[in-house]
Amino acid sequence: MSKVIRIISLISIITIIFSISSCCTGNPEPESPPSGILSFDFKHKINDNIIVYDTFMYMNEAGNSYLVNEIQYFISDVSISKVDGSSISLTNWEDIHYVDTDIDKTQKYTFKDEVAIGIYDKLSFTFGIVGEKNNSLMFVNPPESFMFWPENLGGGYHYMKLNGKWINEIEQVSPYNFHLGIGQIYYSYPDSITGFIQNYFTINMQDTSFEIKENETCNLEIVMNVENWFRSPNTYNHNQWGGDIMQKQEAMQLAVENGNDVFTYNIK
Amino acid sequence: MVTMCLPIILSKMRLSIIIILSVIIIGIGGCEDKPTPSPYKPTPYEIDIPFGFPTILNIPEGNPMTVEGIELGRFLFYDGRMSGRTHADSLMSCATCHRQERSFEAGVDHPDFPGGFPHGVTGLQTHHVMLPMINLVWNTSGYGWSGFLYPDNPNEDMQNIEDFVRLTVMAKDEIDSDTTTVKNLFQTIPGYPELFEKAFGSSTITFTNIEKAIAQFVRTLISANSKFDRYRVGEEQLTQSELNGYVLFTTEEGADCFHCHGGFGNPLFTTHLYYNNGKDTEFTDPMDRFSISNDPMDHGAYKATTLRNIEVQGPYMHDGRFATLEEVIEFYNNELQVSPYINPLMHHINDGGIQLTPSENEDLLNFIKTLRDDEFMTNKEFSAPDKFPDEN
Repeated sequence: MSKVIRIISLISIITIIFSISSCCTGNPEPESPPSGILSFDFKHKINDNIIVYDTFMYMNEAGNSYLVNEIQYFISDVSISKVDGSSISLTNWEDIHYVDTDIDKTQKYTFKDEVAIGIYDKLSFTFGIVGEKNNSLMFVNPPESFMFWPENLGGGYHYMKLNGKWINEIEQVSPYNFHLGIGQIYYSYPDSITGFIQNYFTINMQDTSFEIKENETCNLEIVMNVENWFRSPNTYNHNQWGGDIMQKQEAMQLAVENGNDVFTYNIK
Repeated sequence: MVTMCLPIILSKMRLSIIIILSVIIIGIGGCEDKPTPSPYKPTPYEIDIPFGFPTILNIPEGNPMTVEGIELGRFLFYDGRMSGRTHADSLMSCATCHRQERSFEAGVDHPDFPGGFPHGVTGLQTHHVMLPMINLVWNTSGYGWSGFLYPDNPNEDMQNIEDFVRLTVMAKDEIDSDTTTVKNLFQTIPGYPELFEKAFGSSTITFTNIEKAIAQFVRTLISANSKFDRYRVGEEQLTQSELNGYVLFTTEEGADCFHCHGGFGNPLFTTHLYYNNGKDTEFTDPMDRFSISNDPMDHGAYKATTLRNIEVQGPYMHDGRFATLEEVIEFYNNELQVSPYINPLMHHINDGGIQLTPSENEDLLNFIKTLRDDEFMTNKEFSAPDKFPDEN
């Protein structure tokens, strides 16, 4: 009896040893490179100051006295690059992010991607949504769904709604809806549409560098300077374009060209 | 020795047998007095989400939807004894004002509320007219014209449809009763305790469970089968006039309704948000959006109603100032009032309105009528039950 027990014990010990050795000598999970987290905090300013909403205290390049009521927009396909030219697209989990000045939680965008440690000196993203991704009904839940761009005007979603008021040339307070999205080519304005124009564009920011450290979160403050939508290289005059521009491709084109330097970023 | 002990042993065995049998008999008798309670197993109810509708639902964690809860809620919704009274002249339920054939609004043709202006049991008129009671399971922002009930309200008694039930029962200009009277009355009505048992695991009726049941039923009131819905999925074509109206509805150069009232990408046909849409120049209503938000821009702002079934939901606006859709369109055409609080989306304000031509008016109206869902307004699952529990 004791002999049987000894044999069983021996077999058990050998099995355990083999199991342990196979664990150690088998194919281990490849060790992931050291990484950290990247996070954006969105701020909205006019020149150097945080916007005071619903208050006539701003003057644009064209001389329009104006106020800002709310800003809602999408950025997407964020990419960061190192000095050696290698780049990472932070699109593994959420490639489109919605920002709303009335909803605090949207003003924070923490990437779920693990970002390799190192110093990065370039940051780029799409303002709006690229054409192949900008599909109607991909957002069915509010608040993103409220950004839908009508099918007959090209479909998909507004890139941005910047709403406010300005004092027009006859001294009336007049609302402006500075809305960007897919533009239209008209055979006969505003009824006969013969084609659409994708107005999304890439923002490249190369002024600063930031470092991703192992197991740490790097917070970048992404600042939209609203005044720059109206300033450079085109002077945008609300009196010329009126309160609505969704069906005015020329006005949206000015905004697209002005949009290049609307954003800057700071390390927090 | 053995022979002496045997009778004693036998007598002890008899005693044991007697005791065991007694215990069994008593046990059985006890079972008759206290029947094993049937386990509380309500049947979960899942919302069937229509094409393109939001997937995020406003169903509080503490009130999951069940078949039994909804069934009970439907009885309560239609039972006039929700007033806490039994006299025929004093009955009032949710359905007294919320009529299915008017998309659960009063409607201008309400038999008891001329023009669609409801009043309570005591005759006191409500402060505002009603909002449609449809697709509320997708309202995640706020209930009422001012949004005074909202899910993240720090006041936990003012968050959701459940709270609306309680407030309605207590409001002087509505049911004007109290929760204790109502729950006590229903406790005495045959059939209801059993329904509460099935729905909530207790035949003791609480007002909290009354709130929950009615809220569950209300969350099933889904309207998503209008002509426009069928057009969205390619099952039906719109007429040329309706299509023209659709373009007007969704363009800034047209009527620009869609920013507040939705469309293809927002099939709720509301944002559930609040806008000053240019009705007035003076703002004295203590129950506008400003009263909740304290944002000065919200003076005179009210919820944008869903336009689903709007054709049958008059009177219109928070104070019911317009009886017909034609009047509403004329208001947006030419009658907008300038004020410092006008919402920026009202970009036609300085023209007095959108200034549609008569044929455009007709097209826009024809499109809006495609949002009418007759199936919803006749769906038996939402109708008054044939019998109440005590009538079986």
